[in-house]
Amino acid sequence: MLELKDIRLSYGSTQVLNGVNLSVKRGDVASIIGPSGTGKTTLLKCINYLAKPSSGTIAFDQIQMDYQHADKTAIQAIRLRTAMVFQQFNVFKNMTVIQNVMDPLVVVQRKSREEAREIALRELERVGLSSKQDSYPSQLSGGQLQRTGIARALAVRPDVMLFDEPTSSLDPELVGEVLKVIKDVTSSGITSLLVTHEMQFAKSISNRIIFMDRGVVAADGSPTEIFDSPSSLRLAQFLNSEHSLQ
Amino acid sequence: MFDTDILLQDSREILGAVPVTLAMAFTTFVLSTIVGSLFALVEYRRIPVLRELVFAYKVVFKGVPMVIVIFLAYFGLPPALQFLLSSAGINFNAHETPNWVILVLAVTGCVAAFQAEIIKGALNAFDIGQSDAAYSLGYTSGQLFRRVLFPQVALTAIPDLTTSMMVIMKALSLGFAIEVVDIFAQSQLTAALNFYYLEAFVIAVVIYMVIAYIVTQIADRLEQALRVRT
Repeated sequence: MLELKDIRLSYGSTQVLNGVNLSVKRGDVASIIGPSGTGKTTLLKCINYLAKPSSGTIAFDQIQMDYQHADKTAIQAIRLRTAMVFQQFNVFKNMTVIQNVMDPLVVVQRKSREEAREIALRELERVGLSSKQDSYPSQLSGGQLQRTGIARALAVRPDVMLFDEPTSSLDPELVGEVLKVIKDVTSSGITSLLVTHEMQFAKSISNRIIFMDRGVVAADGSPTEIFDSPSSLRLAQFLNSEHSLQ
Repeated sequence: MFDTDILLQDSREILGAVPVTLAMAFTTFVLSTIVGSLFALVEYRRIPVLRELVFAYKVVFKGVPMVIVIFLAYFGLPPALQFLLSSAGINFNAHETPNWVILVLAVTGCVAAFQAEIIKGALNAFDIGQSDAAYSLGYTSGQLFRRVLFPQVALTAIPDLTTSMMVIMKALSLGFAIEVVDIFAQSQLTAALNFYYLEAFVIAVVIYMVIAYIVTQIADRLEQALRVRT
């Protein structure tokens, strides 16, 4: 359903993405792993055009776009069908938890406030934040902020969920509550792409692991293939170093 | 020490200048905030060329004493306006521009440079990750501005903008130099007729203090109403 071809992107003179090819099938839960600075997050952000590749193409079902001639209609169409969960949560600070979840429904999807509220309540229940619905972001813990971010993303009913290191800026004791919610989301069958450093977690929820290294996809396979019989020395070294950290 | 009759009589006269002063201050505040916001946006968005112009503008108008700007506007603005209008073929006597308009424009010119700094600071304090989130959900930049950016930036800027209101109130007293009668000028005129200078200026001080108190109160209420609870 989603196909990226030959994505190239550089920040100044640093080449971040070096011709990435990636295709995602409906229902895939794919985790993107790899050393820091290899463009995992950037790749994810290319999908909804928060990062702007210099060349490459994207096909999202019927929507097709060449990044060299990026057009607003295609970008908007893709954004309406995806939702992103951010490393820094990025919840709207001037809104309560429930307003955060309702706002895109009312402003972008033009739903009535009542309908938006109903959906928001359901999603907040799902992420276990019903009791915090009227709290402002400044009153919440990192884990609660991230669960708000997840509820906001889920509420727009995306075809693809993009998780960008959702637990990387959380205190260790708060990681669990967020992983639990993500696991619940991915097991519901929604197509998901997850950039993460949580290897055990990636292994347990994904049907696919994508190893990125130096701006390209260096390995792509089932969790067993990637973790149990790494195909390259770089991958083995990376898994080893991650393993020794945990 | 003070003569009550004089105080009462003077108060009545000086209070008469309050509505005009407030109207000028409010107009100046609104205009300078609009101009300052545009300047701040130019700098925030890093728009080439305009950005350099804004920088130069700020250096000039922050650096030159306001009273000089007022005099320059008084002598320079009407002929300049006349020249522009007549070369555009519009028949209008710019030399009849009322002095209070010149004062408002001159003070606006100066204060806009400061408003620009205040708003730029508030914009820089905005956490731009929220923009990413809004765009990823399909918000247009207009929707992002209305729903997320503006409410937060306005809130951050309120305390400093209130200070600007008071700065403007006080700056208007420089209008005395070009015969615009505000609270200060009226006290001066009143005292010049009956020689009770101390009384007149004490009254002016009290009026300025009351206005400062009210403005601060309004700003505090507004801020509290908008404040994201902590």
